[in-house]
Amino acid sequence: MGSLSASLNIAVGSLLAEQGAIETTSNNIANVTTPGYSRQRADLTETSPIEVGNLTLGTGVQLQDVTSLRDSILDLRVNQETQQQGKLNAFIGGGQQIQSLFNETSGTGLQAPLTALFNSFQQLSVNPSDLTTRQSVITSAQNLAQALNQTSNNLTTQQQNTDLAVKQSVEQINSLTTQIAQVNLQVAGAAGTGANAGPFIDQRQQLINQLSSYVDVSTVDAGGGSVTLTTSAGTPLVVGGQSFALSTQPNATTGFQDIYSGSTNITSQITEGQLAGQLQLRDQEIPSIRNSLDTLAYNLSNAVNTQQQAGYDLSGTAGGPLFTPLTQQAGAAAASKVAITDPNKIAASGGPAPGNSGDNTNANALLALQNQQIVSGQTPIGYYGGLVFQVGNDVSSAQTQQQSGSLVLQQIQNLQGEVSGVDINEEAANLVRYQNAYQASAQVTSIINTLMLATINMASGV
Amino acid sequence: MAIRLNPDLLPSLLASIQESKQSETVATQELASGRSVNQLSDNPIAAASLVQNHDQAGADGQFLQNLSTLQSKYQVADSTLGDVVSALTRALSLGTEGANGTLNSADRQAIAGEVQGLLNQTVSLANANYQGAFLFAGTKVSAQPFTLDPNTNTVTYNGNSATTSVELSNGDSISANLPGNQLFQNASGSVTGALQDLYSALTTGTNIPASVTEVQNALNQVNQQRVFYGNNLNQISLSESFLSQDQLNLSQQENSLVGADLAAVATNFAQAQVANQATLNATARVLGLPTLLDFLK
Repeated sequence: MGSLSASLNIAVGSLLAEQGAIETTSNNIANVTTPGYSRQRADLTETSPIEVGNLTLGTGVQLQDVTSLRDSILDLRVNQETQQQGKLNAFIGGGQQIQSLFNETSGTGLQAPLTALFNSFQQLSVNPSDLTTRQSVITSAQNLAQALNQTSNNLTTQQQNTDLAVKQSVEQINSLTTQIAQVNLQVAGAAGTGANAGPFIDQRQQLINQLSSYVDVSTVDAGGGSVTLTTSAGTPLVVGGQSFALSTQPNATTGFQDIYSGSTNITSQITEGQLAGQLQLRDQEIPSIRNSLDTLAYNLSNAVNTQQQAGYDLSGTAGGPLFTPLTQQAGAAAASKVAITDPNKIAASGGPAPGNSGDNTNANALLALQNQQIVSGQTPIGYYGGLVFQVGNDVSSAQTQQQSGSLVLQQIQNLQGEVSGVDINEEAANLVRYQNAYQASAQVTSIINTLMLATINMASGV
Repeated sequence: MAIRLNPDLLPSLLASIQESKQSETVATQELASGRSVNQLSDNPIAAASLVQNHDQAGADGQFLQNLSTLQSKYQVADSTLGDVVSALTRALSLGTEGANGTLNSADRQAIAGEVQGLLNQTVSLANANYQGAFLFAGTKVSAQPFTLDPNTNTVTYNGNSATTSVELSNGDSISANLPGNQLFQNASGSVTGALQDLYSALTTGTNIPASVTEVQNALNQVNQQRVFYGNNLNQISLSESFLSQDQLNLSQQENSLVGADLAAVATNFAQAQVANQATLNATARVLGLPTLLDFLK
């Protein structure tokens, strides 16, 4: 048999349940623009019915749970794409600065000073006895040496800045893993008590996503709501409530920061994220460009020196090196320097006879170097053209990858939105439904109240 | 049930706005610079070809500059030789005049005096220089190549017989000079020797016809040698037109490598502008769309 007080309980339970549902809706609407927020759903269920005799009576409604709607597979995909984007963006950022050093379309590269050096040999060949012409050979050589120095120095500065950025990235990673470890505990705690861990998971996913832009992270479900984060090579970053900080130590040879987890050097194991992009720039791209630059500087200065030494200067003395001789290829561009200041010492002549000032044999030979394969089997300008291509192509292919990756990321985020995004219309509709239900239950309460009063009055015989 | 759509349209709208803005910026950049390649990464292959192109154009420019130097130099040499030819022609007629048996010694002395003058003139012509470098000294261009002994009228050559070559354009060389001894003291007709002999023949009154023949030989010889400069000047003007054409080709190549097709870019720009405005318009409308809340009273 039913009772008035049972009905009252049902109505009050309903008020509470609808109130909870309204609260959930209100929270959804409040967070409509919150990044990383997953919409929540109020899970209303019937309470267990009671059996009275042969009757089964419902006991009302309860707010069983508030569920955050998210797709953890999509979360993983977003993280993966974010890692790649992080790497490419860091690489492109640095690459764009590097390519501006070689921007031949606006004439800021090495082509002009290279051509000018050979043009000065050309002029020398026409007018070998003229001191002004000889001086212009020295000036052109100085300009080229300076341009090589400057380009090499700019690369070094860029490399040092990138090294600084590596250190900052590691600091960011450590700060993020510390936060993730804390949230990880909160998720596990909430999951343990059966409460809705959604908001914490939102927060954790948001942090893991940020971490993904810095480094390659692989996420493993550790059970109990907790996740274990490692780099893709298996270096632990977060295990349960414990985070493992990475550290940096200067490399003994290069002086640049190596990345350590504990006492293990993991520099070469970082494959994705901003950190990987920075490492690629610092340890591969810039050294490779500098190596090309050094190859050019070393071989060109050697060839010019050899030819200059094969000739004779204005006084009929065998020529000395035009550029200060370089002992090794490494660092050649930075060390390029002109050794001659006296225009008389330019060896235009092919013979030792004194007074042979009109002899341009050696000037012609110097000029001929322009079209000789003296730098790694290529002409100087041909080799430099290859360098320009390499620099441009590295940036351009990273850009292509980045663009297609960002489209994929956008698409996955769209899918995520389909699952987790808050839709105002949906919330408004729900709000109206909950409002109606709440008002109805309130009405029921009021009616039961009247009924109860009537019953009490009946009993008291008023 | 319909698939739930992503309720947040903003990210994709913003992406479209950015995309259309990007094409607008690219088009503006191309219009402003007139180039379709403004950074190496825009087209690495074109940028690398541009290096070769600019190098070649730079070398061509220098070659052209050299050609005008060489041209002036050869013009000076050629006109100097022209003056030598006139002097020899005058010497020839003086010699013929002196060979006339009716002249007395005093007359011949007077003629010899003039020949002496011609010899002096020829020596100074042979010592001609262009911008400080002696033209007829072989490669010893810094020292005066010919000296005249005023007592014996003997002319000594202090230069050498070396010849040089210069490049007129890439890989195209010409012989750059004629040594003075080949021009003025050639075995098949020495200019200075002929004038010296004519002078002494006139002063002594002997061997005049033989020395006139010598002068004639010298004249023929100079005329022959002079062709060298004429040829070089021709070569230079050929090279000049070759180089100018090459420069033109290179600048056309540069244009096709990195130049922007302005008509196409202008169209792209207009399209990008329209697209951008359309996206902005759509975004404004979408953002302003009423929600269910607006209808709940």
